[in-house]
Amino acid sequence: MSQISRFAFDRRSLLGAAASLLAAPALVRAQAKALKIAVLLPRSGLYAQAGQSCHRGALAAPKVLADLGYAVELVHVDVESNADTARTAAEKAINEGANCIVGAFDSGLTLAIAQVCEQRQVPLVINIAAAPQITEQGYKYLVRNFQTGGQLVTNGLRLIKEISAATKVDFKSAVFVHANDTFGTAQRGAMDAIFPKADMPFQIAESISYDPRAQDLSAEVTKMRGINPDLVMVVTRAGDAIKLVRDMVRQRFEPKAIISPGSPGLYDEEFYQALGPLADGMIFNLPWANPKSPVTQALEASFKVANPNNRFAVDSFNAGFTLEALMIAADAFKRAGTTNGPTLMEAVRATKIDQHVMIGGPIAFDAKGQNTAIGTAVVQNQKQTPVVVYPADVAAGAPALPLASWQGRK
Amino acid sequence: MRREHFLLGLLAAVLLALPLALDRYQTSVLVLVFLAAYMGQAWNVMMGFAGLLSLGHALYLGLGAYVSAALFVHFGLSPLLGLFVAVLICVGVAMAIGALSFQFRIEGVYFALLTIAFAEVARIGFDHLKWTGGAGGFFLSVAGSQGQWWNLRGGPLFFYYVSLAMAAAAFALCVALRRSKLGYQWLAVREDAEAARAVGIDVTRARMSAVVVSAAMSALGGVAHVFYYNNVFSAQIFDMSRSIDIMLAPIIGGIGTLFGPILGAFILIPLGEALIHATQALGINAPGAKAVFFGLALMIIIFLAPSGIWPSLRKRLGIGEGKP
Repeated sequence: MSQISRFAFDRRSLLGAAASLLAAPALVRAQAKALKIAVLLPRSGLYAQAGQSCHRGALAAPKVLADLGYAVELVHVDVESNADTARTAAEKAINEGANCIVGAFDSGLTLAIAQVCEQRQVPLVINIAAAPQITEQGYKYLVRNFQTGGQLVTNGLRLIKEISAATKVDFKSAVFVHANDTFGTAQRGAMDAIFPKADMPFQIAESISYDPRAQDLSAEVTKMRGINPDLVMVVTRAGDAIKLVRDMVRQRFEPKAIISPGSPGLYDEEFYQALGPLADGMIFNLPWANPKSPVTQALEASFKVANPNNRFAVDSFNAGFTLEALMIAADAFKRAGTTNGPTLMEAVRATKIDQHVMIGGPIAFDAKGQNTAIGTAVVQNQKQTPVVVYPADVAAGAPALPLASWQGRK
Repeated sequence: MRREHFLLGLLAAVLLALPLALDRYQTSVLVLVFLAAYMGQAWNVMMGFAGLLSLGHALYLGLGAYVSAALFVHFGLSPLLGLFVAVLICVGVAMAIGALSFQFRIEGVYFALLTIAFAEVARIGFDHLKWTGGAGGFFLSVAGSQGQWWNLRGGPLFFYYVSLAMAAAAFALCVALRRSKLGYQWLAVREDAEAARAVGIDVTRARMSAVVVSAAMSALGGVAHVFYYNNVFSAQIFDMSRSIDIMLAPIIGGIGTLFGPILGAFILIPLGEALIHATQALGINAPGAKAVFFGLALMIIIFLAPSGIWPSLRKRLGIGEGKP
């Protein structure tokens, strides 16, 4: 009897020890001291320019997060602007111990990653991706700290109205010019749907689409010149934005304002380098880093050290959203105290961060995982640097309208 | 049992059992390998067998993806049924392109340009087609559908076997076609169309059948693609780079061979992943290294083995000419 009891005891001990051994990696993972975040970005391929810009923000992030009391370990992965690569990279990163994923600038890439995160129950914090459907698909393991395409256009138009009133520069007519690529065409669709309801004080005389790979845009500018609108609304990328402005200068077409209601192109380093003083005066209404936020200032300081050859002012949109995504993950880990996926995701969804980088209210997510409090600013190129000029509470400079003549710029 | 049958059987047994030894990441890499091998076979039917260079093969991949996804989203039609509609539409488009080309004797590089043109037209068309999401992309819901195999919903393991079955079926089909009368007609047309015509082969019909078979196979590839990724963007699926991706595996493996596309896919994709592993392990910040590697691999293959790797490997393995 005693022998049997001893055997039973020994067997139980053995099973207990075996179970402890088996569970050890999971326990270690769940009780990790730092959150391991895989930052998946398109650092090569079609979206390389923006992906590199986001990456520079991620390089600057550890110092900022550490100073805020967050413990993170970052793994940087290039997804090559390719959905196949994005998906396998997400699988690999999770296999190698990533507790959370941040990325991935483009909607298609983000969705490829989202499926892996959903199946592996690992939170995905989206830094930038505008397709509205991302948060409508029923994913439980993602949140998006970025505006949808529709929100970009809605806010962009609202701010055109407000900046016009603030500067007392009236726009009686407008032309909408957009690249006929994926983003440009999607923004055109949003514009067609939103503009009629936006109660704007002007009409769009014509919408002109163009091939961003065209050698020049002289025909499009000639068309605009014929209409002679007060306002030119543009949806561009960097290369075609340069061509557009060059042809406007050549044809001496000088509208009262050139404003992007939510697109890149007018604030890339390439744009400033190519156009010099001709880049000044362009306006873009976008979510932007709040120059008055202490977190933005901390990011700027860290950015200068991490990326001495790049300007924070130019990268602040991409870098700011990337830092915020990392901050959301780190903050959730701090509150949850575990890297266990479901628990960490609950904490991500319950996020409320008051002090952050981008203009807008506290970072928080609705039931679908969308942050609806992201603000939009009017940003203007002044001395070849993007400067927030509106709203007044976050402005670092005054808006300069109407657009100065191309002639005599220095 | 012949040597090649033994090797094929061994390969099939290994691939069937392989997921037992793989993690999810490795499984998902193999899904890409099988899909690349499958699409490579489809492209190889046109270029490798019939000598028709298609540089816009993403057209059929994209059409297959969009048609099956739209039928599933708008009408709830299972992709197992939707694929037949997708195949029919792709065959129709392929026949239209084929008729246009062959009627007006558009051949060689001009035929290749025509295929690019149609892929571009499709890209621009789907960018503006609201019914399938336009430029903003078309999305399949992911909520509550996991495990519905009849709707092609599942994780990497499920798609591992789906893509393996597709690659195996494509290989078997190509073996059968290559050994058929039609297969010999394709080879004759590829080598010298005028000579083939002189011996009584209906060149137009032979070429058209290659275009149709290739398009139908590619449509099925599109169905698998969209249900694996759950979304499709016209700018990406119809892009020229997608067509180039389709061509890489058969070019590396061996154009016109049966096993070349499979070998090419098994070389390119795992080596690309290994390269990423290596650069990360060495702490080298090298974004885009894989694209550079693919370019270099292509240059080396063209320089050292213009017919691809499989023909020389086949000789070493003692597998005779005309075998896979």
